Amino acid sequence: MSKKNEVPEVDIVIDHEAGVIREVKQPGLRSKSGHERRVNGGIYTVLVIMSIIWLAPFVFLVFQSFRSYITESGGMVAYLLPKQWSLDNYIWLLTDEKSHFLQWYGNTLIIALFCAVIQTLMVLSVSYTLSRLRFKGRKLIMNVVLVLGMFPGFLTMITLYFLLKQLGLTQQGAIPGLILIYCASSGMGYYISKGFFDTIPKSLDESARIDGATRAQVFMKIIMPLAKPIVIYTILMAFMAPWGDYVFASYVAFGSEPNYNVAVGLYRWVNVNDYQGFFTRFCAGGVLVAVPITALFLALQKYYVEGVTGGAVKG
Amino acid sequence: MASVTLEHVKKIYDKKVVAVHDFNLEIKDKEFVVFVGPSGCGKSTTLRMIAGLEDISEGTLKIGDRVVNDVEPKDRDIAMVFQNYALYPHISVYENMAFSLRLRKMDKEEIHRRVCQAADILGITEYLGRKPKALSGGQRQRVAIGRAIVREPQVFLMDEPLSNLDAKLRNQMRAEIILLRKRIDTTFIYVTHDQTEAMTLGDRIVIMKDGFIQQVGTPQEVFDTPKNLFVAGFIGSPQMNFLKARLTKNGQGYAVQVQGITVPLEEKHNEILRRKGVGDMDIVLGVRPEHTSVRFGNRENAIESTITVNEMMGSELHLHVSTAAGDSVILRLPTVDLDDQTRQSLSYGNKLYFNFPGKVMHLFDPKTEESLLY
Repeated sequence: MSKKNEVPEVDIVIDHEAGVIREVKQPGLRSKSGHERRVNGGIYTVLVIMSIIWLAPFVFLVFQSFRSYITESGGMVAYLLPKQWSLDNYIWLLTDEKSHFLQWYGNTLIIALFCAVIQTLMVLSVSYTLSRLRFKGRKLIMNVVLVLGMFPGFLTMITLYFLLKQLGLTQQGAIPGLILIYCASSGMGYYISKGFFDTIPKSLDESARIDGATRAQVFMKIIMPLAKPIVIYTILMAFMAPWGDYVFASYVAFGSEPNYNVAVGLYRWVNVNDYQGFFTRFCAGGVLVAVPITALFLALQKYYVEGVTGGAVKG
Repeated sequence: MASVTLEHVKKIYDKKVVAVHDFNLEIKDKEFVVFVGPSGCGKSTTLRMIAGLEDISEGTLKIGDRVVNDVEPKDRDIAMVFQNYALYPHISVYENMAFSLRLRKMDKEEIHRRVCQAADILGITEYLGRKPKALSGGQRQRVAIGRAIVREPQVFLMDEPLSNLDAKLRNQMRAEIILLRKRIDTTFIYVTHDQTEAMTLGDRIVIMKDGFIQQVGTPQEVFDTPKNLFVAGFIGSPQMNFLKARLTKNGQGYAVQVQGITVPLEEKHNEILRRKGVGDMDIVLGVRPEHTSVRFGNRENAIESTITVNEMMGSELHLHVSTAAGDSVILRLPTVDLDDQTRQSLSYGNKLYFNFPGKVMHLFDPKTEESLLY
């Protein structure tokens, strides 16, 4: 038994009721040093400030969207909280005859859904091919794609515009035109999913092929179920990119209002139309755009993280 | 059930690296053949060519009477067990085993019958509902074998199936494979780097090195009459001792002079050497550790050596000794007849005398490394 004046950090106590021996830590002895506390405090302060800066625009956007353009002001004002909360902006967006919002929303949704399907198929099949098949020029293709990927997409903007125009895929044809643009080079984004496929042992493919599966069956029945995180990650990315795109959408659809996507349409309200009058409606539109993507992201967050890190471990 | 014939089969990678040279072998129906050799010898490549997972660069491969060079793996009617099991992790053991049958669109009841039967043979019935993740290494290997059995394939390929198991389980599974082979009686091709597995499992062993077949024969044949230095050293554990020696012809008989002793050859060996017209020459003499005898009393015509290491293996001692000429030799000595005093004398630095009879000697040409007695 220890002497009382030495004060052990941990007392062994026999809990007769529970019939167990448990360790009881003595209060005061295990506290962290002051230095460690100060460092932690500093780190947390920085983090809190950063997250406030980060979140402020979103909070601002949401507050503005609830300020009525009829009873208060539809423009910019010098205060943050609306004096009276109202859904006028949303009602106008969804019901007013002059609002094209639903059409734009639909356009964007169509483009994003098509892209999600086509792009996912392309990315995954390119990745699987590059990961599993060995053919002439494989290394070359991978390197060329890597280098090409370093150039920003809008370098090709003018060429693409004239190409699309000749095909009749601008303005009235903007929706298929945009789908074409977004999906065209999507196979180049094979990197992360190829890294993921590389981590699935090749002997699974071989085993399945001996078991009687064709390459396509191996892909669908063995690889796809195992690559669920990366499939979801790819779908998410493919959906999100066109959902929020402004640059391509603005010039391909230029001048044809019914064919805008939400980003372009909303922006043109505040830019071309009455800036002061449409600001709160612009904010409400922004909120509506953010809702589905946020929900999707939260629901699939687990897979998303797995997808990114899974591909990264043995990339 | 079918024979497998390889005629002049070659594997060349990138037009440069030759992994398998001119491989000729006929595997009979229902035969158990083991490819054995050190890593990089081309044994797995050959197996993968038979499976159809690697292209055949040159030569012909036949399963039964059918040339299958350009036949897809799925159409070759073979089954393969992989070293890392290659179980499909996302489906249950039952589905793993049923996978190939489902692809074949087999009747559901027949699938169920075959899966249950295979599970019964392998003792994995109670794990059928589990995912592979929830199984131990040995159980996974059983499932992998079960997946192959249900197919009732013509040829059963196994690529180092026991390498991932621990030593005890490996011995147990080895015995089970022998039993399994009796039950399902089909053509087996088995790849391993472990000569013990090769010796215990194979009807015939194919020993390979650097893409060349070194020797093909029954375990007894390759043990008794190794064709060259490599085979002699590879088969048997601990490995054969090699000593520099001189072969001398004396009338009709031959004798080997080694480390100051002279050992005459047996008549059947004399005859082989006479037929080959061998004269006096320097040779490499091979003697297996188990064929040496330690001389405690009579030191006449025995080689003097110094003990460097004494390994106690239980039923026997492995004595590493160094001869006066500087060669190191391993001797196997059964412990059952040794008294305590002798046992204690067998320690580091002490002198030890040993010799061996003529009939256990293997003679190799130092230039060609081929056996003179083959």
